[in-house]
Amino acid sequence: MATITINGNKLEVPDGMTVLRAAQANGIEIPTLCDHPHLTPYGGCRLCLVEVEGARTLQPSCTLPVSNNMVVKTDTKKVLDARKFVLTLIFSERNHFCPYCQVSGGDCELQNAAYNEGMTHWPLSPNYTTFPMDASHPHIIMEANRCILCRRCVRACGDLVGNYTLGFEERGANSILVADTGVPLGESTCISCGACVQVCPTGALIDRWSAYRGRETQVDITNTVCVACSVGCKVNVLTRNNSLVRIEGDWEGAVNEGLLCELGRFDPMKVDCERIATPMIRKNGALKAATWDEALSTIASQLKPLSGKSADGVAALISTRQPIEAISLFKELFADQLGSGMVTTTEEGEFTADSAVYADTVNKAFETDLKALQTAGAVMVVDADLVKDHQVAGFFIKRKLSAGTNLLVVDKKENGLNPFANKVLKAGKGSNADIFKGLIAAVVKLGLAKGKTAIKATDLDGFAAATGLKTDDYLDAAFVLTSAEKPVFVYENGSDLAVLKELVDVVEGQLLSLKGGSNSLAASQLHLDKTFKINGHKAAFFAIGDGEASQKSVKEFEKAPFKVVLATYASALTGVADVVLPSTNWLEQEGHYINLEGKTQWAKIAITPAEESWTTVQTLNALAEKLSVKLTADWTKEMHERVSVVEIS
Amino acid sequence: MAKPKVSSDWLAGCAGCHMSLLDMDERIVDVINLVDLRSTPITDLKHPDESGVDVGILEGGINNSYNEEVAVNMRSHCKILVAFGDCAVFGGVPAMRNFFTLEETLRRAYIETESTDESGHIPNDPELAVPMKVHAIQDFVKVDVFLPGCPPSADAIFHVLSELGQGRVPELKGDTLHWN
Repeated sequence: MATITINGNKLEVPDGMTVLRAAQANGIEIPTLCDHPHLTPYGGCRLCLVEVEGARTLQPSCTLPVSNNMVVKTDTKKVLDARKFVLTLIFSERNHFCPYCQVSGGDCELQNAAYNEGMTHWPLSPNYTTFPMDASHPHIIMEANRCILCRRCVRACGDLVGNYTLGFEERGANSILVADTGVPLGESTCISCGACVQVCPTGALIDRWSAYRGRETQVDITNTVCVACSVGCKVNVLTRNNSLVRIEGDWEGAVNEGLLCELGRFDPMKVDCERIATPMIRKNGALKAATWDEALSTIASQLKPLSGKSADGVAALISTRQPIEAISLFKELFADQLGSGMVTTTEEGEFTADSAVYADTVNKAFETDLKALQTAGAVMVVDADLVKDHQVAGFFIKRKLSAGTNLLVVDKKENGLNPFANKVLKAGKGSNADIFKGLIAAVVKLGLAKGKTAIKATDLDGFAAATGLKTDDYLDAAFVLTSAEKPVFVYENGSDLAVLKELVDVVEGQLLSLKGGSNSLAASQLHLDKTFKINGHKAAFFAIGDGEASQKSVKEFEKAPFKVVLATYASALTGVADVVLPSTNWLEQEGHYINLEGKTQWAKIAITPAEESWTTVQTLNALAEKLSVKLTADWTKEMHERVSVVEIS
Repeated sequence: MAKPKVSSDWLAGCAGCHMSLLDMDERIVDVINLVDLRSTPITDLKHPDESGVDVGILEGGINNSYNEEVAVNMRSHCKILVAFGDCAVFGGVPAMRNFFTLEETLRRAYIETESTDESGHIPNDPELAVPMKVHAIQDFVKVDVFLPGCPPSADAIFHVLSELGQGRVPELKGDTLHWN
């Protein structure tokens, strides 16, 4: 601890803390622009200058570590004059005229800083230099004329996301934000995660979807959970007049710490599918609008005779984007009450079934959490393309690479992580089990095995031949894995999991599977993880909501004599269904989600649905009533009835 | 004590600030009770008294030689000069043309607009004021009070006028300080 004095207040603060953080922690305000609590201090804007006794000049508090007996003053005339001067210089450099800027009126940190200093005008006139504006990106507008060169976006893109697309060209006042080597942002390596927009203090980076649609003081903010995948990022959903304005990553979110990917931030903004507005019943080959009561009565009359028929009753499938409450009721109604032997989810257990069986076998949880990626010295990714899916988990890996974390990719397909990897094992043939065994043999051969294994160094040539790879490839890969502490193994599905676990134990690593959709783990806990087949079933009930069904399951659906779909948007399914029920989308319903690391999170309602759009829970309860069935399931209990691959909290 | 004399005029602006002044509604009566309103662009008297006024108010930036003349004249006839609105304070919306050359903006305005036929030409009558880059008025004359806003809110205007009317120099902060 160090003792410092700020404005006459004696404070005890931890060594190594910056003066700015020490002041903030003790309620002393120092204005900042380039500083951001989640980014590495940069010291670029100089707005946070303070007077330090004994120092020749004013010091930037954001990069100045405290030292014992330091005496700091933040409110002297010298400091206040310097702040105004810093702002004066910033305003003079570029086009900071407020009246036609998207962020003016509360959302601009530069304008707010000027107001706080009581600036009524710019003491220096602007120099009217023109910088290019880049509108080539589908979501983001990069307006260099509004830029104050704080480099928050550059640090977010590199330090947080690990993508390193943004950077600066030229020097001094001519410095200009560029993508890659100066290509248009829309043609760059940008992955559209939008972190840069979220951290930009001015209107230099804005998004097309929310621009000019409402300031932060004019919107309602709902803190909820993204349901695009199993990572379970916390989001702030900004709405105005019950319509979606913007989605931002929640900096307080324990899982994602402010980050989002394109699927979470921008995809929901561009939904332009046709909305199912009313229940519909097929009559004489065409869907006709009906009341909820008519639709549910029609379904009930068809399902009642099928009750108790396991192999030729009603086959049911629900989207893993639905809250656990809905999935649990769904299982109770169709599997427990109607006795169907075919109740599953849109994921059909593809990413969870094998590892769940393995958990049953070993009878305990065996996976780690996403935080482990932050401390892992090496990461081995098996078959999962974290550049396409579960992207935020990919950011956690990519951003550690520059700090020396090793990355090994094992994938027969082309994997988006390959360009970042220290080593790629792209087998031409053989199974994953052969590759894992080859890696074990290589680790043994290097003499670096920490756990027991029956596989010997002499087996390596055999596994190399079986997978069409060179012995040296395995030795290189084994070196990547073993030259670092705490390796984490990220895998897509649990095939050959027992062998993978052996490899993990040999190098004292940890396992983490991606599990697919936002509630795939919960569905797996409910044993809803089989492949969907219509076989002899006489009816099919798909609760898709705003999710999507695979082409294969749509083909199976079509075979059923009587077809019901509960959906938000028109699709191939609604085109062939006999009864279509309008459903809420993810923003219009509430419920719980369990992410890939077992964290239970509550998603809230951000948008009030139209009267005719029902939540799946509402629909299932109403249907149960028509079928004279009482639903009583307790999902919180059900989640713990089966051993899970990762501890559920 | 005699009521302070107030004059106003407008330069390269849109008259919106003077409209915002009227948004004070019935409070304008309170202001009139405090000050002796002399020339304004929206009343009959157009020029500040030769003997001078206490407060001069200028809306709009300076974008030609005529604006400059009006500004200098107002400055020399008032004790306290108020820059009224974003254009007077910063240059404002008209200053956007400064990111282009004068030649480009004139060509765009008089020749290239969609509504201009082939007879369009840039006016060059020697009687006309000479256009220039758009400036905040502080680039030409000393300003005592800056009242930014596009337009300044009626509340901010009322605050400034009532302070000046009572012989104080107004300070803008909190709700009355905004630039848009």
